[in-house]
Amino acid sequence: MNELSAQLHFAEHRLQEVALAFMALVYLTRVLWFLRHKAGGERQPTTARDPKARRRGILYSWATVAMPWAMESTRRMPFFYVQFVLFHLGVTAAITLSFLIPYGPGVLESSALVLVFQVLIWAAFAVGVLRLARRIRNPYIRAISSPDDFFAVFLLTVWFFFAALSVPNDVSGGEGILLTYFWLTAFFLVYVPFSKISHYLYYPFTRYYLGKSLGYRGVYPVYRVQGS
Amino acid sequence: MSTTEKQTRSWKAERVLDGMGKKLSRQITGSLVACVHCGMCTESCHYVLANPGDPTYAPAYKADKIRRLFKRHHDWTGKVFPWWVKAGSVYTDEELEELKDIVFGRCTNCRRCTFSCPMGVDLATFNRMARGLLVSVGIMPEGVAVVSKDQWETGNQMGVLKEDYLETLEWMEEELQDELDDPTVSIPVDQPDCDVVYSINPREVKYDPRTISDAAKIFHVAREKWTMASEGWDMTNFGLFSGDDALGGSVASRLYEKVNELRGKTLVISECGHGFRSTRCEGPNWAKFDVPFVMESSIFTMLRYIKEGRIKVDKSKNPKPVTYHDSCNFARSCGITEEPRELLHLVCEDVREMYPNRAENYCCTGGGGAMSMSEYTRERLKSGVVKANQLEATGAEVVVTSCHNCVDGLTDVIRHYKLGMEVTQLVNLVANALVIEGKPAHAVVPGLEVEAGSNAQA
Ligand code: SF4
Ligand code: SF4
Repeated sequence: MNELSAQLHFAEHRLQEVALAFMALVYLTRVLWFLRHKAGGERQPTTARDPKARRRGILYSWATVAMPWAMESTRRMPFFYVQFVLFHLGVTAAITLSFLIPYGPGVLESSALVLVFQVLIWAAFAVGVLRLARRIRNPYIRAISSPDDFFAVFLLTVWFFFAALSVPNDVSGGEGILLTYFWLTAFFLVYVPFSKISHYLYYPFTRYYLGKSLGYRGVYPVYRVQGS
Repeated sequence: MSTTEKQTRSWKAERVLDGMGKKLSRQITGSLVACVHCGMCTESCHYVLANPGDPTYAPAYKADKIRRLFKRHHDWTGKVFPWWVKAGSVYTDEELEELKDIVFGRCTNCRRCTFSCPMGVDLATFNRMARGLLVSVGIMPEGVAVVSKDQWETGNQMGVLKEDYLETLEWMEEELQDELDDPTVSIPVDQPDCDVVYSINPREVKYDPRTISDAAKIFHVAREKWTMASEGWDMTNFGLFSGDDALGGSVASRLYEKVNELRGKTLVISECGHGFRSTRCEGPNWAKFDVPFVMESSIFTMLRYIKEGRIKVDKSKNPKPVTYHDSCNFARSCGITEEPRELLHLVCEDVREMYPNRAENYCCTGGGGAMSMSEYTRERLKSGVVKANQLEATGAEVVVTSCHNCVDGLTDVIRHYKLGMEVTQLVNLVANALVIEGKPAHAVVPGLEVEAGSNAQA
């Protein structure tokens, strides 16, 4: 194992810690801000047959992400759903990597695990490129895109690129790749709360309230018959 | 917001922005912050499908016209770097008029896109909020203004006068007496202590009184102890469409108070998707009223009568092939999809499913009060091609729906696309299938149990 330079050590440790702490603080503030809004209640009795419908609705709403058959859009665009899964697995892998390299480098001595990480992150990189192309070329997507939307997918794609190259955690050829990856990770952590990338923070809440309401009203879980 | 910016903004624009801050519940805020602009919802909207290549009809595009205001005034990034997240404000009345054309003219609040959104963004809910904000400063389609005024003033959205209403009931009573050759048949009004207080859509009085006599016939044969109310009989609620919670609360209270006054046990709501949703689900919240009696759709009442053996039906009396159109409000906001089908299969010989259906059904084009907004008729009918294709593919001769609004929407689409189909409601089919005075019923319904409380409230 080669010795780390002071710069790389800083980028892997102190920089990440500060960025993470900043992100956590901003997220906490965001959640508190969100919860300051009133949660609408329902006075009327349920229209669902099942008395536990509200809870079922919430669980169904949360689980929708893992049920591509539940929504017409994911049934119609299975390839897009596969992209979604790969992209988010890549995000998980690249984030995990940013902890493994500084705090558990021994784990990456397993060549099988290195391969798994590389496959996941390269797949996510490929999806990122496709997503960027879609955002630029598809007139429907272009019309709803803001600079933040373009930048978010660009940032993640570049980040995947450096994450994939960083997986072996090998500085024998120089520290440039790892340094870029960790600086990008830090930037990502600081930028995310102000970007649409923070959607995952709101996701549980949005789907919770939708599931609660539609469950109570007997709409969720959606009942479908074959052929529809 | 800087003082100069405030000074350059019109009074109405200022009020709309102020009002938005007060309307932001967690549900609405969640839907406003969570959109990732993935476009998964695009093709779920009938306006998009009817206008290929035009992204301005996409749900997320329309939603962003509201979202940009939220971002500019309530979201950190939008406040500091508005251009980065396409945040923006509104300054003039003309801009508010443009917003009006989107929230009233390009979205029927059908909620179909919500069911295709992985993030759970509920555009229909905040589109309704935007409508309400515009209505609060007098910016709305003319039809919305007229109907709202009628409902505020007369208590019903078609401005039906009390004497006309009562005369229609009398007329229907006489027709029914003739039809059944029974002078004792009546349409009771303001009878206290009844098991059922029956509320209707004013459209029934004005354009379709046969639905009243058909319902009366069913109540009569079922030997129901029922009444109609002389006031507070309109179960529709334009507050749902206009986004005006005050109107919504006032209309709903009028109905609830009348049932209380009559000491009615169950408020039966005639077939109407938005009427049912407003009265049964939203009304108690708008009116802050804890309703002490049961409220049920007449679909459930009719089904219950058959299950209890109180009425007998003969499905061979309805031999034409029929298909069922789910009202958006029933299917996507109240979870009522199976009971109408159950009833339909009991009273019709040839029932054909329409695809997609239930919570994935397409809007009739008349949702969200669109039938009252004549300035958008051309766009509405164009979007109706989706419904027309759906209807045609069933091969049915009759389309059945449990909603007066949908009856009008579908009739328009059928006429425009020359489909030659009839539109009817369950109450008409049940009344037609009734077996009266000891004549044998062909359709015996074995082993059916009464589902108490599934759609009722104790
Ligand atoms: S609510 Fe219905 S009409 Fe409105 S955008 Fe969504 S799908 Fe289209
Ligand atoms: S599917 Fe949902 S998150 Fe995606 S663009 Fe539509 S509203 Fe936004």
